[in-house]
Amino acid sequence: MILRIARKEMTEMFRDGRFRVSGAILFTLLAGALLLGWQNYKEVRAQHDVAQKSTRDQWLHQGRKNPHSAAHYGVYAFKPKSPLSLVDQGTDPYTGIAVWLEAHKQNEFRYRPAQDATAVQRFGELTGATVLQLLVPLLIVLLTFNAFAGERELGTLRQLLSLGVRQTDLAAGKALGVAGALALLLIPAAVFGAAAMTGASGYDAMTSAIPRTAWLALSYLLYFGAFLGISLTVSALVKSSRAALTVLLGFWMFNGLIAPRAASDIARAVRPTPSAFEFGHKLEMALASGADGADPTDGRVARLKADLLLKYNVDKVEALPVNFNGIRLQDGENHGNIVFDKAYAALWETFSQQDAVHRALGMIAPGLTVRSLSMGFAGSDFPHHAHFAIVAENYRRMIQRTLNEDMILNAGNTSPYLADDSLWNKVPPFLYTAPATSWVVARQTPALGIMAGWFVIAMLAAAWSSRRLKAL
Amino acid sequence: MLETINLSKTYNGVPALHPLNLKIEPGEIFCLLGANGAGKTTTINLFLNFIDPTSGSAKIGGLDVVSNPLESKRLLAYIPEQVMLYKNLSGLENLEYFTSLAGGKHNTGELRGFLAEAGLAATDSDKRVGEYSKGMRQKVGIAIAIAKKARALLLDEPTSGLDPKAANEFSALLRKLSGSGAAILMATHDLFRAKETGTRVGIMKHGSLVASYLTSSLGHAELENIYLEHMHD
Repeated sequence: MILRIARKEMTEMFRDGRFRVSGAILFTLLAGALLLGWQNYKEVRAQHDVAQKSTRDQWLHQGRKNPHSAAHYGVYAFKPKSPLSLVDQGTDPYTGIAVWLEAHKQNEFRYRPAQDATAVQRFGELTGATVLQLLVPLLIVLLTFNAFAGERELGTLRQLLSLGVRQTDLAAGKALGVAGALALLLIPAAVFGAAAMTGASGYDAMTSAIPRTAWLALSYLLYFGAFLGISLTVSALVKSSRAALTVLLGFWMFNGLIAPRAASDIARAVRPTPSAFEFGHKLEMALASGADGADPTDGRVARLKADLLLKYNVDKVEALPVNFNGIRLQDGENHGNIVFDKAYAALWETFSQQDAVHRALGMIAPGLTVRSLSMGFAGSDFPHHAHFAIVAENYRRMIQRTLNEDMILNAGNTSPYLADDSLWNKVPPFLYTAPATSWVVARQTPALGIMAGWFVIAMLAAAWSSRRLKAL
Repeated sequence: MLETINLSKTYNGVPALHPLNLKIEPGEIFCLLGANGAGKTTTINLFLNFIDPTSGSAKIGGLDVVSNPLESKRLLAYIPEQVMLYKNLSGLENLEYFTSLAGGKHNTGELRGFLAEAGLAATDSDKRVGEYSKGMRQKVGIAIAIAKKARALLLDEPTSGLDPKAANEFSALLRKLSGSGAAILMATHDLFRAKETGTRVGIMKHGSLVASYLTSSLGHAELENIYLEHMHD
């Protein structure tokens, strides 16, 4: 019976201009968004490959120079785009894709993290995620607002209930009908997306992205199911289809348009982030005065010098068997590392707390939860950015250590020292591997729980409200 | 087949149907006459279990409609004043849908046969219902009853708004169905149609069945006079 109801619902939908027009628009937008995402991914990936090779070549062929000059010459680390970013670019447009790795500084990405805190929750351009998060739910609303209210108005509900049709069967059939119609739109789009992903990133990258893709698909299926359940519930409870449409459009606007902005403001109010200027100023102050606000650089250098002279039992720097500048520079790096670790840990902890606020607010707006899941499994959320930033920073620290150690051992203290390509070659190329799917799943478990909760509650509500359906 | 035992319905203390005792046997067409608000539709809605009775019970084929809602509905067909169908489906598709939900399995040939039996022209079966007249939709309603092999029919003003020819055809179909053993309860304002179609008529007033007659014992004018007398009280 449920399948028969579903089949009839689909037949009616396909014969109704409402579905044909809205479905065609949605499919075009989704395909267009995926196409744009594919182009963007392909371009950025090509630029990334060229730039990464170029920066490596420049590093290797920078010629003879002092290692510390090379440390300031620096290298770029380019953040690779996840293949699934063609579906959801997430925070990528706001967090930047490259970081300059040089001596003394843990540089911020092109867009400063302190500014990025608000951009994390901002809407971007038209992407597959926008279509999936905003427009598919709108289509679900348009297809289901009169599922029961319309039957009641038309009088067919009396006809159906007089036949002895179970209301829950009716609800299940209608849900399945809408799901089937959506599947006919979304499955071709998914196939198109998979083909685009394969074309842009290669077969291997595509196959390795399958687990993340499966989780992404599950997240969206739960989201669509939740919207379907909510729509059926409202349609069963309210008296008229007009009232059902009003209520559901109100919820859709709240969920997709109001809640994300409100959540950002609430998160910032509850867990404020420093401005870019404030963050930079605090870093400068800490670097100058020490991580704990004491221990000025001059005093530290003087102590370091004294300790070295004592250790090697000499009376002047020139008599040291190791290069003092190299030791001083590495000591400065060590000091800076403590400062950076403390400052960025605090900043990222604030972002993490803001994420927690978002996650909590996802209990009243499922759109917030699915955004988090979508960006997470697409590999374009802030935790992925932070993961890359940590790997890049560790690479920067390794470069500085390699260069400073070379100076310490080889530069002496009496004449200028120049290193050659053999030193630059000791620095391995920058390689980055995105975190495993299990890492994402572990981070997204609370959001997955909330999304599953929405789905279950919405479906139970639909079943409960359908049981209360009256012919009159 | 259709039976009420002290069946009553009260809305907020206002009685819509006083305790009603009624029995309609297979092959019988009982026409309920009465003004608007007399309790005719309330009686039908109680049989359909669309509303809960305040007291008493309604039974279809011996099954209480409240305690056996699904089973009792499998025995009946319901034809309202306007048979509402899905306008984007054809008459044939509507018939197939409704009969399949009622548990019937019929091939297309059989379904076309039911529509033909109900008087719908073969050329109209595949047209979308959006193009149907009221009479054509009523015929699809009858076809559903035929396909269901309903043992009881509940009709609420089914000929209202039909032209005389269509109403006459409809009456003929009802007689055919009752001839095959269905018990039929029809609420109507149409005295002429009640006399022509029914085997018994009952007059309802202010929620009570105030009179009941065999139609064979009355002429048209006599029925009209009795009806008007009751309405004047």
